Amino acid sequence: MALPNQQTVDYPSFKLVIVGDGGTGKTTFVKRHLTGEFEKKYEPTIGVEVHPLDFFTNCGKIRFYCWDTAGQEKFGGLRDGYYIHGQCAVIMFDVTARLTYKNVPTWHRDLCRVCENIPIVLCGNKVDVKNRQVKAKQVTFHRKKNLQYYEISAKSNYNFEKPFLYLARKLAGDPNLHFVESPALAPPEVQIDMAAQQQHEAELAAAASQPLPDDDDDTFE
Amino acid sequence: MATNEPEHEHRDVEEAGANEDEDTGAQVAPIVRLEEVAVTTGEEDEDAVLDLKSKLYRFDKEANQWKERGAGTVKLLKHKSTGKIRLVMRQSKTLKICANHFVTQGMSVQEHVGNEKSCVWHARDFADGELKDELFCIRFASIENCKAFMQKFNEVAESEVEKEESRDASDTAGLLEKLTVEETKTEEKPVEKEKTEVEADEKKKDEPEKAGEEKKTEEASPST
Repeated sequence: MALPNQQTVDYPSFKLVIVGDGGTGKTTFVKRHLTGEFEKKYEPTIGVEVHPLDFFTNCGKIRFYCWDTAGQEKFGGLRDGYYIHGQCAVIMFDVTARLTYKNVPTWHRDLCRVCENIPIVLCGNKVDVKNRQVKAKQVTFHRKKNLQYYEISAKSNYNFEKPFLYLARKLAGDPNLHFVESPALAPPEVQIDMAAQQQHEAELAAAASQPLPDDDDDTFE
Repeated sequence: MATNEPEHEHRDVEEAGANEDEDTGAQVAPIVRLEEVAVTTGEEDEDAVLDLKSKLYRFDKEANQWKERGAGTVKLLKHKSTGKIRLVMRQSKTLKICANHFVTQGMSVQEHVGNEKSCVWHARDFADGELKDELFCIRFASIENCKAFMQKFNEVAESEVEKEESRDASDTAGLLEKLTVEETKTEEKPVEKEKTEVEADEKKKDEPEKAGEEKKTEEASPST
């Protein structure tokens, strides 16, 4: 479901509600999918932020309107009010902070009061961190409540596509649905403007002396 | 009853995550019915002249820092009929496009200060379906891969210069015969071919004379 000020699209779209304690990585996860960047800085979400996120599948293009809600109680805003007409959900916790897992049942209960029978994915985020407080075998809540569980890392991109893939399959009732290449359209011809070109060269020279944010990490997936 | 879930439960589930593809979710009724569609990559008429695993960054001018754009495969794709080469990079797993632009005359990829596995360039990028000026940095798993990328990229950009120049030169000749030259891109290729053939013929005619002239000057030069 789109917000009134958000353009609607002519392909299937779904309202996805993302909940979980503050600092578990909900916004970082969404941002990772939106722009590719990994935001290290923590800025609590106030109320809710809605972002459209498109995926290309073998059954065409689909869109999730991601309702990235505030995890911190004091910034909660409308809280349950954001869940109305939610068609699928992600509950996020942080495997390096036990309390965030302990609070999962509360998030689940509140969600289910508003949204009945929607597919829900439980995500244990930050599995790239060495010192985990919640081990994989300690995660059992999903079995009791029939949720899907994924260990993810917004930092390393481990399993980062899985929650969306799972939800898409459930919403379409198609276990074989999968992501496909989005069409790489031919870019338009570009006219070279010499003045602009010089400016880009100067900017590039300056940028070339800036280090990368994750130079230490040598994994290439 | 004893072991329905055998040993692998005890195997290291911490790192890998337990039973990746096990579906523990509730049965829910689907809310849409989707039909399989034909998939187009947009790359059907192109051949990859380079294909490497890498990580792409874009420069955020406001924050004055590099930000990740995606990790996946970067390709240089050569169009089968026009010969044009573009750079396309896709995010792994989601297969979304992180970069999509032609490699053209005047472009050049440069070293990234202090890092031999990465390099930088500017492009008018079309990844999001609109043209945007972007400063890109790409990082490879090895110095060799980075070198290979830089070499190929700059080779393409330089050959684009040559192409432009030869086109300029032949344009004048071509215009005399065909005033409709280069009306459309699709015509470009065959027309060019014609032109080169014409030029070649002309050269053949010229050559004997030229050769003769050169000989004369050579013979003449020692005495002067």
